[in-house]
Amino acid sequence: MSGKLLMNALRALRVSHSSQWQVPAATIRIPVRHYASPPKRFYKKTSVLTGDGGYEVVLDHRKLKTPKGAPFVVRSEPLAIAVATEFDAQKEHIERSRMHLSALCFTAIDNPNHLSKLDMVNYLLNYIATDTVLYQYDDEKALHELQINEWDPVIEWFNQRFEINLQKTMSITPPKVSDEDKMKVAKHFQSYSLETLHGFIFAVDTLKSIVLACAVIEQMLTVEKAVALARLEEEYQMKFWGRVEWAHDLSQQELQARLAAAVLFVHFNCSENCVKHKSIL
Amino acid sequence: MSGTKVLRSLLHELRQASPNGCIKDSLAARYVLAQYKKFATTEQQVCKARNEATFLGQTYLTYLASQRQYLELYKEFHGRGERSVRDTADLVGFKLPTDPK
Repeated sequence: MSGKLLMNALRALRVSHSSQWQVPAATIRIPVRHYASPPKRFYKKTSVLTGDGGYEVVLDHRKLKTPKGAPFVVRSEPLAIAVATEFDAQKEHIERSRMHLSALCFTAIDNPNHLSKLDMVNYLLNYIATDTVLYQYDDEKALHELQINEWDPVIEWFNQRFEINLQKTMSITPPKVSDEDKMKVAKHFQSYSLETLHGFIFAVDTLKSIVLACAVIEQMLTVEKAVALARLEEEYQMKFWGRVEWAHDLSQQELQARLAAAVLFVHFNCSENCVKHKSIL
Repeated sequence: MSGTKVLRSLLHELRQASPNGCIKDSLAARYVLAQYKKFATTEQQVCKARNEATFLGQTYLTYLASQRQYLELYKEFHGRGERSVRDTADLVGFKLPTDPK
């Protein structure tokens, strides 16, 4: 098999270099995976500039740009400060895959998938029928009890908040969501701006649940609690099978960081109303 | 968690996140302290914005702490290629022939 592969490779080489045909044996190497190395930290200090359009992040004297090349401008000061802090926290290399808050801002500014508000609201609505907390399991009594105690209050809160009637399901058949209920939820999401909806989608994708995402964004749950509820069955099974640090703890920390980034992003993007609150007081 | 505790933990995390371990001229630390001053309630006044500010502070704390712990776990467990003979021997408690007895 490997001999055949080698012959094929040699033939391919011969075709491409037919004029000067010579392949020394030493040039045939074992394949090595080449990962792109993360860019080095090329700046010393990060700071925030105030412009007429909003707040910009400056790395030494260079302005931060998004991956698409657009200037990085956000309307919220704490968001810009958080991004600047995140860039400042990088040690020798810039680990972009771990900078969730910056990544979220970049996605919102660039909108690489050209999503419109309607697309995003539809995406969120379609999530309702596959929401984690609506699928419960009553074959195992202890687990079901846990689900009733932990998940049901959140579903109830969600139903009250939006004045709808979501029902959980005990089997694989998805719960029925009436069009009327969908309209009510859609109306709520339509009231947010395009950038804020990016944050919502990030939160929903992290938790795999729109009910939990809304609860944590509306300050009904803390981030840690919401992540714990999203991984309820995993936590339950861990009691019997043991906890593996490099799998369970790692995923828990990552989910917490992602969800916290999404919640901060949503709050900072609609913080204008809280500023008004303060001036009234 | 109370507001003061969140503030202390936040400053601790910011100190750990900064490259030189000093937050004297850190933008975030200055901003957080300013927010705390702004939303400080006097006497027994009920202030709704304060709950929100505490929630945001707590969320940012979770963000920083989770990222730090993730990085610690990643550094400890991420594959670094094949182990050397010495590492493997240390792992199972054997000695190399070259080691003194």
